[in-house]
Amino acid sequence: MTPLYILTKKEYVQMFREFKIIWLPLVFMFLGATQPVVTYYLPSILAALGGNQGITIDPSMTQQDGAQVIAATLGSQFDQLGIMIIVISMMGIIQSDKANGMLDFILTRPVKVGAYIGGKLLSNFSFIAISVMLGYFVSYVYVNFLFNNIPFLEMILAIVFYLIWVLFILCFTFMISTIFNGQGVIALISIVCLLIFKIFSGLHPIIDLLNPAGMSQHAMMVLITGSIDSHLYGNMFITLVWITLTVTFSHYWISEKKYHKN
Amino acid sequence: MLKITNLKKGYGSKQILNGVELHVKKGEILGFVGSNGAGKTTTLNSITGILEPDEGTITINGIIKSGSTKYKKQFFFIPDTIHVFKNISGFDWIRFVMKLYDNDQTERMKHFITQFDMEEAMYKPMGTYSYGMLHKMMLIVGFTINPPIIIMDEPLNGLDPKSVLTFKKAIKLYIEEGGTVFFSTHLLDIAEKICNTVAILKDGKIILHEEIDKVVGENTLETIFMEKQNV
Repeated sequence: MTPLYILTKKEYVQMFREFKIIWLPLVFMFLGATQPVVTYYLPSILAALGGNQGITIDPSMTQQDGAQVIAATLGSQFDQLGIMIIVISMMGIIQSDKANGMLDFILTRPVKVGAYIGGKLLSNFSFIAISVMLGYFVSYVYVNFLFNNIPFLEMILAIVFYLIWVLFILCFTFMISTIFNGQGVIALISIVCLLIFKIFSGLHPIIDLLNPAGMSQHAMMVLITGSIDSHLYGNMFITLVWITLTVTFSHYWISEKKYHKN
Repeated sequence: MLKITNLKKGYGSKQILNGVELHVKKGEILGFVGSNGAGKTTTLNSITGILEPDEGTITINGIIKSGSTKYKKQFFFIPDTIHVFKNISGFDWIRFVMKLYDNDQTERMKHFITQFDMEEAMYKPMGTYSYGMLHKMMLIVGFTINPPIIIMDEPLNGLDPKSVLTFKKAIKLYIEEGGTVFFSTHLLDIAEKICNTVAILKDGKIILHEEIDKVVGENTLETIFMEKQNV
């Protein structure tokens, strides 16, 4: 058994014992269900809440397309609350190991820094990806039930693109957790930076090409238009470069023991 | 076995290690002693890779210190403060650490678990363990893995008298099997009884490295230590 396998397994055991393996998928499933259900029942909800106090729904309003609704699940629910939840659940990914001495303990065993980082990222990404996919699948089921069918291939392509953005979210939070020591600071920096990336996506084609949040935009576009944008591959390549840079920087920080307060 | 040459380490303007020179031979049980702030922990952390020294070289079994698994497999480090995953059982934790060393000597592990009276505690979460129990867990893993050298920082802290006796027996067995011990401690009487050599660190330098019997003679290690400190 390689150290990478042993450390990955250890991470899964910890997630299981901390019940993260239960609550994170549940949260994403809830977020996934929220968008189609709220969108579909919005007129009824407004009628029930607003009554006759000035809120009227245009009866000629066309029903939203299913693709738009599931795209809104990614763009609204997952990209706002979802980002915050991923960051909060991952802010201690390295910070807690630094604080309780576990990082030094593991690195004085026959483990390379790469195996330690790999174990963390592999386990956490696979787990977050499954949680996001579950939420997305719940949203897909509700959309198909309440709205209209979404082509299967487009649905799969969209989640693949979206998961590249999720991988960046994880690697970025990982890097911030490696550099900083307070969980509050880590959460604040990560959330603010990731939301800025998100806000800037869609503003300008050049920014979109360099912006990792562009992958989220491409995922939504493939759902809504049914076609792949010409800038997708460039954006995907640059996002993968960003991911590599964050992981390389984290590796350098840990290898050089920069996390020690001298 | 362990060779340290011109080891230097400072924090800002404060120099902690001023050129440590030490050659620990195979079969030595070295008592590494020094006053608070002499640089013992810094030396240990430099050997194990927790810290990067400013200058100097460290080799174990001829392998130059690096982040490689080959170097890290030459030693087993028992720190003063033991860090564990609080919500996993002792048994799971031992197996986790042994796997990192690619070691599956279950029978040997069970032998040391029995010797250190840890059978009952093995299936309890490690968060419930006392300080002494955590040290016993590390000693069990260290003696099971049987690396070329075991590096210990105050390993007897928190151990009950029976466990200290077991520790002495285990060290004897380990040395007979070809091991070497680097034993950092403040307990000079224990060092005198357990170790066969002593190294005294003062102001970041080794001022004495000799066989205990030759150093002590008619005196005690405590007397010699105090003389060397000019107190």
